[in-house]
Amino acid sequence: MKKHNSKITYNESLTEKIFFYRQQTLKRKKKYDQEQLNKPITFWIKKERLLGEIGKEFTIILRTRGCDWALGAHGGCSMCGYIKDANIENVAPTQIKNQFDYALSNKLNEINKDTDNYVLKLFNSGSFLDEGEISENVRRYIYEKIASIGKIKEVVLESRVEYITPDKLIEIKRYLKNKYLEIGIGLEAIDDYIRNNYINKGLLFSDFKNAIQICKEHNIGVKAYLLFKPPFVNEQGAMDDCENSIKELIELKVNSISINPLNIQKGTFTEFLWFQKRYRPPWYYSLFKCLKRSLSQEDLKTVRILSDPSGAGTKRGIHNCLKRECESSAKEVLRKFVLTQDLRELDKETFDCNCKKKYKMQKSYY
Amino acid sequence: MTHFFEVISTKVGYSRIGRVLISKKPKIYGKTPNILIPIRNVLMHQLDFIEQFENHDFFVITKEIFLKISFIRDKFKKTGFIFTHTGKLERFQQILVENSDIFFEDNIISIIPFNIPTTIINKDFVHKEIENYINSAEKILKNNPNLNFGITIKIFDYPKLVNLYFPLIRNNENIKILNLADIFDNFSYFRNIIGLLGEIKTHLDNNIIIMASGRVIPKFYPILIYLGVDLIDSSYLMYLSGENFYDSIEYLLPIYKIKFLPCSCVACQGKLKNLLEDKYSSEKIDLLCLHNLISAFNYMKKIKQYISYEDFRAFVEKSSLDDTNVISILKVLDKSYFDLIRYETPIVQENKIVKCFGPSSYYRPDFQEFRVRTIENFEPEPWTRLIILLPCSAKKPYSESKSHKLFHKAIRKFSEFPHFQEFILTSPLGIIPRQLENIYPVNSYDISVTGEWDNEELNITVEMLVKILEKYNKDIPIICHLENGYLEIAKKATSKLEHNFIFSKIYGRTTSKESLQSLENLIKEQKDKYIVNESLPRKDFISKTWIRKFIKILDYQFGPGSGVKIISSGIVLKKNKASTQISLINSNKNEEIGVFKFKTGQISLNLKGIIQITQDPSSIKSNYIMFDGEEIMGNTLFRAGILNWSSDLIPNNHVIILDKKKKNIIAIGELLVGSNFIKNSKAGRIVKIYEKAQF
Repeated sequence: MKKHNSKITYNESLTEKIFFYRQQTLKRKKKYDQEQLNKPITFWIKKERLLGEIGKEFTIILRTRGCDWALGAHGGCSMCGYIKDANIENVAPTQIKNQFDYALSNKLNEINKDTDNYVLKLFNSGSFLDEGEISENVRRYIYEKIASIGKIKEVVLESRVEYITPDKLIEIKRYLKNKYLEIGIGLEAIDDYIRNNYINKGLLFSDFKNAIQICKEHNIGVKAYLLFKPPFVNEQGAMDDCENSIKELIELKVNSISINPLNIQKGTFTEFLWFQKRYRPPWYYSLFKCLKRSLSQEDLKTVRILSDPSGAGTKRGIHNCLKRECESSAKEVLRKFVLTQDLRELDKETFDCNCKKKYKMQKSYY
Repeated sequence: MTHFFEVISTKVGYSRIGRVLISKKPKIYGKTPNILIPIRNVLMHQLDFIEQFENHDFFVITKEIFLKISFIRDKFKKTGFIFTHTGKLERFQQILVENSDIFFEDNIISIIPFNIPTTIINKDFVHKEIENYINSAEKILKNNPNLNFGITIKIFDYPKLVNLYFPLIRNNENIKILNLADIFDNFSYFRNIIGLLGEIKTHLDNNIIIMASGRVIPKFYPILIYLGVDLIDSSYLMYLSGENFYDSIEYLLPIYKIKFLPCSCVACQGKLKNLLEDKYSSEKIDLLCLHNLISAFNYMKKIKQYISYEDFRAFVEKSSLDDTNVISILKVLDKSYFDLIRYETPIVQENKIVKCFGPSSYYRPDFQEFRVRTIENFEPEPWTRLIILLPCSAKKPYSESKSHKLFHKAIRKFSEFPHFQEFILTSPLGIIPRQLENIYPVNSYDISVTGEWDNEELNITVEMLVKILEKYNKDIPIICHLENGYLEIAKKATSKLEHNFIFSKIYGRTTSKESLQSLENLIKEQKDKYIVNESLPRKDFISKTWIRKFIKILDYQFGPGSGVKIISSGIVLKKNKASTQISLINSNKNEEIGVFKFKTGQISLNLKGIIQITQDPSSIKSNYIMFDGEEIMGNTLFRAGILNWSSDLIPNNHVIILDKKKKNIIAIGELLVGSNFIKNSKAGRIVKIYEKAQF
């Protein structure tokens, strides 16, 4: 089970606050009925960048008991509110199997008929490799099913590093040997101080590097999640941090980097800061600038940059001035960049908004 | 390491004028107080911006690219640059390493940034963050011992935590600037602001530049400078421009409200007027920003003018009349911090009219200093037989006013007039003995006189009157030739004193014939009621008004008894042709011992005069500095040459310089700074020597 690194020093003031808001959320939470527990939280298909081509993603979000880190004494990550979708109590293995089957039976036809190749993103708002959330038995069941779908060329799972063990990777490889596998790890930032003092991730960069090593040894790709503009960090700081992180991850030969601009999720500590106007989600301009500064076209031959921000263009998500044209233009720029992995796309804004001036004048104050 | 900043002169409050060494070859200095103009891409695209500011002294750069652009160096070569980074400290370190050769040049100094965290949770969180910053800053400072730096101080509303920074500042001499980044964001925490600056002033080297950044608007520049800030970062105006605010100094107005463009800067004269109605215009933001920066720049020029040549305190009060927090800052500083501020504020101001605006002026440090010194140092003349209380006049000195000439006419009808002690009641100074009417600030203040006194004015004056009259024998009659508020003061004092107050009859005004007659009658009636036992020393002297004045002025300046010591050996006065000064000449030895200058209201004693007062140097307890040597070279005494000093040194006051054994007076001079500065500095100019002993 959990074995968090004892060398991590936590920011107790932050932990206390996060835990408080987490408890408030959990108190207000309604119980899921049997029907809900037999269906996944959500699932969808949409265009996505695959390793060497543009294809589609089939995303399934399973409902489990929830992230062990979020349910623990440290309260979880400061920006994460996914616990509200979790069941908190254990979900029966059959129910999880049913959830997966439900999504698959809904979309299998569409996938089989499609000319595009697919990446299956199998998420559970926690750790897929955590026994407490998804048992070995269920994992095997799911692997077997995926193995039988030819159109799915890539599979992405998510896990905290403490659950990534050689045994589990051998097991995945055994079932999914013909598919490209990637494990998504929420690194958030390479800076240990930011990660543990502002995000409360409970993870050391050295542990992340060990996890990469294990994955590489088993020929499994690593997708690192970076959080763009964590709480307590300003706009320029976010750019500096993300730039540094991207460069370091490229050095480490991480396969994919998914950049997640922070979005304000309900019942979280960041929502509390946001309500008090002590935090503003990042500007698109910052993200674009950061990407341009940290990447070269050459880099993009070895690493895949992904970013599909939640709440984009709204006041809770990454946004500029919230003017419709401005937001959709920025959103489109990001989408095209991710699909094509072409940095030139970042300069192709279709709407030249005057908020850029405001941004330039004000960015050191956000 | 050569000096970086030096204080040239101290002014009222904590304010001061200084200079920063921008370039060693050729030597170029930038003057403080000043503002830092931001250099950003968005501004550099405007030709008007470059033309407007190309001769400005200080700029702040936040982009690495500008460190490398030779254009900036060519265009702004006589300029000081402050570099800081608006993001992570680690990135700043990288920039420092990558551009180390540039930072070794003269005119760029970098400030170690403290931008993260942007907000806090609680005191423990802040404590941890500050410690983290200090550790990182310490490493940078130690790794670059030959580079000068500024450090950023953030306190996140916990002012006491400022002490955490002190060891870092004390242990690293390459810290030359303290950038107060969040202290002035919220003036409603004015006690925090004052407390923190007091801590900095009393615990840290006073030669470190104090810089204010963060959410600072021009309206607050005067109070910031009054609080001792040397440099103000004007970058926040860029943020306000982005929010469409137009700065008219008095107020920040949303641009849509502007109909008359109350400014004639290049932006307001140019396109801005055509863009006022344009809701979304980036050009408007550019021009607005240009206007706001020009406006701040011009305001700073005005401040520099006032701090150098006018009564800066009045300027600060005037600029803060509409801001309750700033008024509170002045009030708290005046009342609770007087013991600190009195050693920072010059004891005189030359040729300046000191305007009083009302309650905010009552406790100005120079006014308080006058009250405290008068109460402490003014001793009754032993030959006093009668006390006369008179109202003040608008004209200064009082004796030159029409009303006082009339009073004099009545008083001087009596040959015993040298036995009469006149006191003038005035607001807000309090009680002025006639002998002190020519000293600062009595000779310079001006207040609106309506005859109505508010409670505070009454209390100040009553309290001072009681304290002074208590020094007199209760049998000495006190004649009050007063009306309205003045009368009320005297009446209030009667309840606190055992003295016999006699009131003249006022018919219409105090200067009316009948009123003056009543005064005269009273004097006639009362002048012989109190018998003086003491025999008069040198009667011929005390009958001379100026000698009477000088005895008390010398007591005021050098302590009780000093005046008699000077006068007792015989004195002759000699006014110069232009009537700007009076020389004090020892009539026995026929040598000058001092000069009274009308513009300062002070007597400058020369060495002979000082020796006459002190006699035994080892007994001197106040107003002295012990020099670490036998002989001073040059006309300036620097901090490095000072061994010891008395704790009562006030800027602009005269000071006796003793040798290191305290056996000889080796020079006298005028203080440039006060004792607190000497205590908290390792370098800098301390005394302007005006006479040295010949050995």
